[in-house]
Amino acid sequence: MKLVHRNLVRNGPGSVKLVPEEEDDLWHAYNLIAIGDNLQAVTVRKVLREVASGGRDAERVKLKLEIVVESVDYDKEGSVLRVRGKNITENDHVKIGQFHTLELELKRPFVLRKEIWDWLALETIQQACDPAASADLAVILMQEGLAHLFLIGRSITATRARIETSIPRKHGPAIAGYETALKKFFEHVLQALLKHIDFEVVQCVVIASPGFTKDQFRDYLFLEAARRDLRVIIENKQRLVLAHATSGYKHSLKEVLDTPGVMALIKDTKAAQEVRALQDFFNMLTNDPARACYGPKHVAIAHEQYAAVQTLLITDTLFRNADIATRQKYVNLVEGVKKSNATVHIFSSMHVSGEQLAQLTGIAAILRFPLPQLDDIEM
Amino acid sequence: MPRKVVSGPDYDDEYGDYDEYDDDDYDETEYGNNHPVNMGKESLKKSSSTVPVHWTCSMCTFSNHESMVYCEMCGVFRETFVKSAKDGLLKDAAVAVSTEPRTSDASKTDSAKTPVKIRALDSDGDSARKHAMSYDKANSMQLTSAGSSLGAEKKKKTPVLSEVPVERIALLASDGFQLKGNQSGGASSSSQNDNVIQKLSSDLGQLNVDKNNVNVTKPCLSEEYKPEKWMLADPESGVLSQLNLAIVGHVDSGKSTLSGRLLHLLGRISRKDMHKNEKESKEKGKGSFAFAWAMDESSEERERGVTMTVAVAYLETKKFRVVLLDSPGHKDFVPNMISGATQADAAILVVDASTGSFEAGMNGEGGKGVGQTKEHAQLVRSFGVEQLVVAVNKMDAVAYAKERFDFIKLQLGSFLRSCNFKDSAITWIPLSAVENQNLINAPSDARLTSWYQGFCLLDAIDSLQLPSRDVSKPLILPICDVIKSRSTGQWAAYGKLETGAIQNGSKVLVLPSGQEATVKTIERDSNSCTIARAGDNVAICLQGIDGSQLIPGGVLCHPGFPVAVANHLELKVLVLDITTPILVGSQVEFHIHHVKEAARVTKIIALLDKTGKPSKSAPRFLKSKQNALIQVTLDGAVCVQEFSKSRALGRAYLRSSGRTIAVGVVNQIIVQDQN
Repeated sequence: MKLVHRNLVRNGPGSVKLVPEEEDDLWHAYNLIAIGDNLQAVTVRKVLREVASGGRDAERVKLKLEIVVESVDYDKEGSVLRVRGKNITENDHVKIGQFHTLELELKRPFVLRKEIWDWLALETIQQACDPAASADLAVILMQEGLAHLFLIGRSITATRARIETSIPRKHGPAIAGYETALKKFFEHVLQALLKHIDFEVVQCVVIASPGFTKDQFRDYLFLEAARRDLRVIIENKQRLVLAHATSGYKHSLKEVLDTPGVMALIKDTKAAQEVRALQDFFNMLTNDPARACYGPKHVAIAHEQYAAVQTLLITDTLFRNADIATRQKYVNLVEGVKKSNATVHIFSSMHVSGEQLAQLTGIAAILRFPLPQLDDIEM
Repeated sequence: MPRKVVSGPDYDDEYGDYDEYDDDDYDETEYGNNHPVNMGKESLKKSSSTVPVHWTCSMCTFSNHESMVYCEMCGVFRETFVKSAKDGLLKDAAVAVSTEPRTSDASKTDSAKTPVKIRALDSDGDSARKHAMSYDKANSMQLTSAGSSLGAEKKKKTPVLSEVPVERIALLASDGFQLKGNQSGGASSSSQNDNVIQKLSSDLGQLNVDKNNVNVTKPCLSEEYKPEKWMLADPESGVLSQLNLAIVGHVDSGKSTLSGRLLHLLGRISRKDMHKNEKESKEKGKGSFAFAWAMDESSEERERGVTMTVAVAYLETKKFRVVLLDSPGHKDFVPNMISGATQADAAILVVDASTGSFEAGMNGEGGKGVGQTKEHAQLVRSFGVEQLVVAVNKMDAVAYAKERFDFIKLQLGSFLRSCNFKDSAITWIPLSAVENQNLINAPSDARLTSWYQGFCLLDAIDSLQLPSRDVSKPLILPICDVIKSRSTGQWAAYGKLETGAIQNGSKVLVLPSGQEATVKTIERDSNSCTIARAGDNVAICLQGIDGSQLIPGGVLCHPGFPVAVANHLELKVLVLDITTPILVGSQVEFHIHHVKEAARVTKIIALLDKTGKPSKSAPRFLKSKQNALIQVTLDGAVCVQEFSKSRALGRAYLRSSGRTIAVGVVNQIIVQDQN
């Protein structure tokens, strides 16, 4: 994200002009734009006008519109952000108060005006504009008969392909059927790899699976690359990394990111920190269950009554809440926790670890000291 | 255990729904007795105004509705029922019911929600049912059948309604009689009969109420299923029964080698093949794998010397036709082991006796975590396997020492006891697959014979008891594997018939796709046969279905009795030894019969104590060794049935991070809201 212009007061009103440059940036914009904000961008609108003859004439007009945001919609696959709201700029084509949907795309600047810029919004901008190398990592997670291809960016994990074929069990002479089915499966994965992975962008490709499927696939990949002269693969052999996973399902991705080899590749990224933080939480839950808690009620009690929170894990979905009071509640909670010298991890709900945290009600905390009394409070 | 659903006395609301009901045809006892109809009515009224009383199962303490003759949870018969049957009050009924007591007497519970499809059923045994169902619509009803099926309903209830047994019998009899009379005289007094029948059905409705609240999914009317003659096995036919025997154990304990050796000794491997295996394995420098290669056929498995998927082999002993399921021991392939070996009736747990290996099997590599000896033992127990043969292999490596054998027996024995294996159901056998000691003959090595005089492995297999087979239930065959036959180009489904029977030409419903297909041929161990019954492991060639519709993990079932396809389940689970607790939102891999699916825990409803009573509701998380009631949501729908209805389709396993974290049974299928 490029910050073109900034004119704001901390915890007060103001505006920023931003240009999204990567897919991740749209995700940040999605987190930034809240209902009730003003958003200005260049857009195209179909305008109907009556001609003198009485007929109607449709015309596409390019305009600059400012709207009051009513809903924001993020399209993960197409990387577009659609913002719907009521027009507040006076012009020839669109009446004030008419609805319009702005589409924010890559390289299109927009101006965002807020009544209150809280620290969270500012931090999001700061993060989005941080030029530190993004971790573009591709992971092929597979088991016999099932493969997923993920692209992991700074704050989003996109599922690019999912391949599922049925592979027969070995059965006497029909063993050949097993091998051909497996070959076919690998071929599909190979095609997906060629189609979705751009080695210019991606730092490295991790192939993960239980058992030997990963080795088999890598052998197949190299063999086919040599046979068909696939330059991309031959030239990037060193960038293929193998890792162990316990299944081919999406939730095994966190195990892959957790393996030391892969961890080293993505060390400083947000994704890695999130994985680690969540792992810590689970470890605490295992070793000392009274020092870990989850659920808004338990966490709030732990913080407000005992000031016991040491590390707070929270997903960004909670801040995106349509209800402004609820958002405020969470912002205050996070702020309060920060003031008590605790660490706060805001998980991106587009990463697997964030997804998992979202499953656990979206909020969890590691406590400074045991609070066994939480057990007695119903969730 | 308290019921979850309170069955109040307001049955009348439900009344309209239960007009159409049906049951087996059933026509004994009624005709001897002819009490007037109105007396019957009275007794009916009396019974329908009775608030249902629950009775407590003597085995599991579940409180059942009074209409149930057996316990809904564990299937144990109610004492009064057994008694009254003995009394001879129900002599005929008992005869009729004895073939399949559970299915037939449960009929009244679900019969109300007959799907339209079933009405179109056309197998011979169903004629009575059809007539009964069309009762309200068609005026020209066949009163005999309607009446008699009613009679059947009533009669089965008699023993459990202790208040009015005699009157009710009388009523039944009179109904049957009256209706019969009617038919001969033309359907003149049908209005009166209408009354009676509606009363009866309201009565039935009442009995249904509680069950139907629970059973919200597509009804499985297994109760009204009437097995045809060919389905029932002829015990004197001289054909050996089939036993599905899983071979499990830690990696490298010698499961494949043991299986290969057994096959070889019993002459199932030709000398040519054996010679080839020996030669090839020597060339690769893995001479000791020669026997294992008989089982591990894929190049990948041979290369690495590890079994990866379950191999199937057939052999015959004196008592059984055995289907050997040689499962992989490596921890990464436990999912394959689950999907391949769930069909087992009994299991051989192979343990490596050599120093260090046994310990690794128990406690995992480096002494941390759980080895596959333990994990497999827990899994096979949760498959429903009760009988276990523990083969202590590689005794040659410890010089056939009795001390080592006893040590293993002590260590493993206490663990197996904790898994709920009965001591009497475990057979311990020291052997050596490589040196051929104690496999099919008594051992020859003096070091072993000096202290061991028990069974050899083959005798131990013969001493296993065959579990009971539900031949008279509707067909259920979970598809383990799908193969396209190269010769005919047709698709064949492999699997074990859990219940029911199948023959050439039978129509089957393929789930989850919901297509119907016709059975073309049935193969058992590459030999074609005409009929397969519950317990048989067969390949079924299907006609009239596309290969893409037939997937492993699907189910072949009777078209009239489809199993549910659902993705939201309530499970009763036992949490195994885990380190990370199970939380709401935990992501797991869900295994059930031959399917696996990603799932997450959506709700922890309650912890259960030893007796199965909820002890704490909505706990924060589940820890090792706890019993709990949880809800899971699967990413995709699978074929499933409540454990109380079908054991094979009701056992589930939860895995996470490469470990089995919980085993359980499906308590309830939850129907998702439409929105």
